[in-house]
Amino acid sequence: MTGFLIAIDTTAGTTVALLRDDELLAEVRYQDGLKHAETIGNAISEVFAKAQLEPKVLSAVAVGRGPALFTGLRVGIAAGVMLSEATGAKLIGVVSHDAIALEAYSLEPALAAKPLLVHTDARRGEVYWALYGGLDRHGLPVLLAGPSVGKYAEVTATLAEEFGEFNECTQGATADWLARLARKQLAEGFATDDVTALYLRAPDATMPKPNQQFGKRVSDDR
Amino acid sequence: MTASFILRPATAADLADIMSIEHECFPTDAWAEASMRDELTATHTHYYVLLVRDNVSGTDSIQGYAGLSKLTSSEQSDVQTIAVLPGNRGKGFGRALMNQVLQTATQQGAKQVFLEVRADNPTAQNLYESLGFKVIDIRRGYYQPDGVDALVMSLELPSVLVNREPIVLGIESSCDETGIGIVRGGTLLANVISSSMDLHARFGGVVPEIAARAHLEALQPTLHKALAEAGISLKEIDAIAVANGPGLAGALMVGVGAAKALAVGLGKPIYAVNHLVGHVGADVLERGEVEVPTIALLVSGGHTSLLLVRDLLDDVQLLGETIDDAAGEAFDKVARLLGLQYPGGPEIDRAAAQGNPKAIRFPRGLTLPKDMEKHRYDFSFSGLKTAVARWVEVARDGEEEFSVADVAASFREAVVDVLVTKAVNACIDNNVPRLLLGGGVVANKRLREVAAERCAKHGIELRIPAFSLCTDNGAMIAALGAQLVMAGREPSGLGFGADSTLPVTTVQTA
Repeated sequence: MTGFLIAIDTTAGTTVALLRDDELLAEVRYQDGLKHAETIGNAISEVFAKAQLEPKVLSAVAVGRGPALFTGLRVGIAAGVMLSEATGAKLIGVVSHDAIALEAYSLEPALAAKPLLVHTDARRGEVYWALYGGLDRHGLPVLLAGPSVGKYAEVTATLAEEFGEFNECTQGATADWLARLARKQLAEGFATDDVTALYLRAPDATMPKPNQQFGKRVSDDR
Repeated sequence: MTASFILRPATAADLADIMSIEHECFPTDAWAEASMRDELTATHTHYYVLLVRDNVSGTDSIQGYAGLSKLTSSEQSDVQTIAVLPGNRGKGFGRALMNQVLQTATQQGAKQVFLEVRADNPTAQNLYESLGFKVIDIRRGYYQPDGVDALVMSLELPSVLVNREPIVLGIESSCDETGIGIVRGGTLLANVISSSMDLHARFGGVVPEIAARAHLEALQPTLHKALAEAGISLKEIDAIAVANGPGLAGALMVGVGAAKALAVGLGKPIYAVNHLVGHVGADVLERGEVEVPTIALLVSGGHTSLLLVRDLLDDVQLLGETIDDAAGEAFDKVARLLGLQYPGGPEIDRAAAQGNPKAIRFPRGLTLPKDMEKHRYDFSFSGLKTAVARWVEVARDGEEEFSVADVAASFREAVVDVLVTKAVNACIDNNVPRLLLGGGVVANKRLREVAAERCAKHGIELRIPAFSLCTDNGAMIAALGAQLVMAGREPSGLGFGADSTLPVTTVQTA
C-alpha cells in the first residue's frame, strides 16, 4: 500500500499524475516546453480537481530529476519539494529517463531482447541519454550506462562498441509512468529522497580577466 | 483617498488632548476628566489614540481615540467610547480605531463585543453594521440631557476573524538571494535569507544559472529556518506571496514554481507581487505602514530605480532607472579594476575610507543640461566606469604611483552624488516630503551620509529600513502580500509566469 501518490515531471512539458495504489486517478499534460512556471500550479490543482481529492490525502510526492533543460526542470523539482512540505507527504526523486524506460518495457516487452538507449534533446547538437538492460526481478529498469549528455553520433558509436546492437527510444517522460516507477521503488524499498537536479552540464559562466579593461585604450602607441 | 495615520496605545499623558476632543465631540455629555483618567489607567481597559502628521510642521497630533473594556473573568467586552475630530471624519479613521479595538478584543479572548450608539447618529451605526454589529436592544432616553435613545449593538467575534491580521509567507528569488519571510499583517515574524553570493565571487558578478541552481537547493532549508524563526507551522499560513518580477527569469521561476505548489498544497490563496514595490513595502514592517506619497530610490546590483509612490497598492510610477549598468554592478566592476574583491560595494567602501573623494573629478552620468531634459531621473554608470578605467590605465601606463583609496573615494562620490541629487530632485519636483531608500547598495555608508545631509537640508524625511529589509528578502514580499490581503484584493490566479521586466505599475499580477 502506498496510498495516494502524485508525480510531477517538467523535463519536457509539464505533466502531473495522481495514483491511488496502482490505479491512475488523473493525469494532466501541458505540452508547451517553455511555460513550466505558468502551468505548474494549474497542472497540480487540476489533477486533484479531476480526482475530487484534496492535496492532504497524499502520502508521496515523486519528482522527475531529469536530465533535462535546466530552467523547466527546476520548476518541477521546486514544486515537488514544496508540495511535499505542504502536505507532509514523502518526497521521492526519480531519474526521468528511468521512467521512460519503464514505460517502453511495459508497453513493448519485446524491447528487453536488446539494450535500450533512451535519449532526449539536450540542444546544442547533443542528447541526454541513458542505456538500459531490461527490468530486474523487482520490475525496475536496469541501468547499463549513463545518464549522461553527448553528441548523438559519438554516443551511439561508443555504446555500439561496448554493448553491440541496441534499440532506441526518443519519447519524453510522462508523470503517469514516473508515478508508477516511484510506486514500485517505494514498494521494493528503493525509493530515494534525493531530488537533486541532473543538469549534467556546468553552468555557462566565463571567468573575468584580472584587471579587465573597459572601453578603448587611450593610446596604442606605447 | 488614503490618509496616513499612526495608531498607538493611549497613556495618561494623552489625557489633555483626549479631553479636548471629548468636549468638542460630545458637547452636552462629555465625560469628566477624572473618569477619563480612570479609564486610561485601568488594567481592564485598552485605549488607543490615532495621530495624524501635519506635513508643514512635521508634528503628529491626536485626532481621535477609542477604548475597550474587557474583564479577564468575562468573555464579553464593551466598546467604551470612540471619537474622531469633525475635521478628520470620512477618512476611515473611525474604522481604523474600531478594527484596532476589535483586534484587541479578539486577542484578549473576548467572544462578544457590545456597544451603545445614539439613535440619531446613522453614520456611526453604518460603520458598526459594516463591521458586523447587529442591533439587539434599544434603551429609551439613554443619552441625557438630550433624551436620545441608545441602540445596543453586539458582535460575535468569530466574524471578526475576517479582519484578523493575516499570516503571509513570502518567497523572493529574483537574483542571488533566496528569501523566505513570514509576517502577521505588518508585523515581521521571520526573515531568512540564503545568499549564493560566494558562488558568484570568482566570476565577478551574478551568474544567472548559478543563482537559479542555488535557489533550488536553498528552498527547503530556508523554509524550515523561516518557520522555526516564526515559531509557526505551515498550516497556520493564511496566504502565500511570491515575487514574479522584475529579475532574472530562471531564478524567478524557481520561486514561482515553489510558491504555487505551496499554495495548492495548503489550499491557500497566492499573491504574485512586484519585487521592486516589495522593497517599498518593506517599510510597513518597521512603521506599520508606508507613508505616502514618497519617492523611493532602489539601488542594488540589478536595479537602480527611482519611484514615485502615491499609494503602495494602486499608484506606483517609475520616474527613472538606469539606462545601462545598475549602481551595484558599477561598484563590482570598478572594484575588479582596482584589484579589489567581489562584491565591490563593501570593498570600495573600505578602500575609500582612507581616500579623498575630491581627488579626482569623475563624470556624473546624465547630469548635463541636455541630458537632464530627456533623462532627468534616469541614471547611467557605464561612462563613469570607463572614465575610472581610463584614469587607472593612464596612471599605470605612466608608471605613476596612484592612490587606490583616492580613486575608490572619488568614484564612490560620483555614484552617490548622482543617486542622491536625482532622488532629492524627484522629491522637490513632485512636492513629496519623503525619501525611502531600498536595495543592497543602501549598505553603502557614504550613500546614507549624503542622503541624510541633503534630505535634512531640503526638509525631506529620509527613511532607511534595517539592512536585512533593504537587501533582497522574502519578508518584504510577504509584507506587500499582506497589504493586498488586508485591502481585500482578489488573489492571483495560478497561471501567472515570471516576468523579468515586470513594470512597477503592476504591483500585483492577476
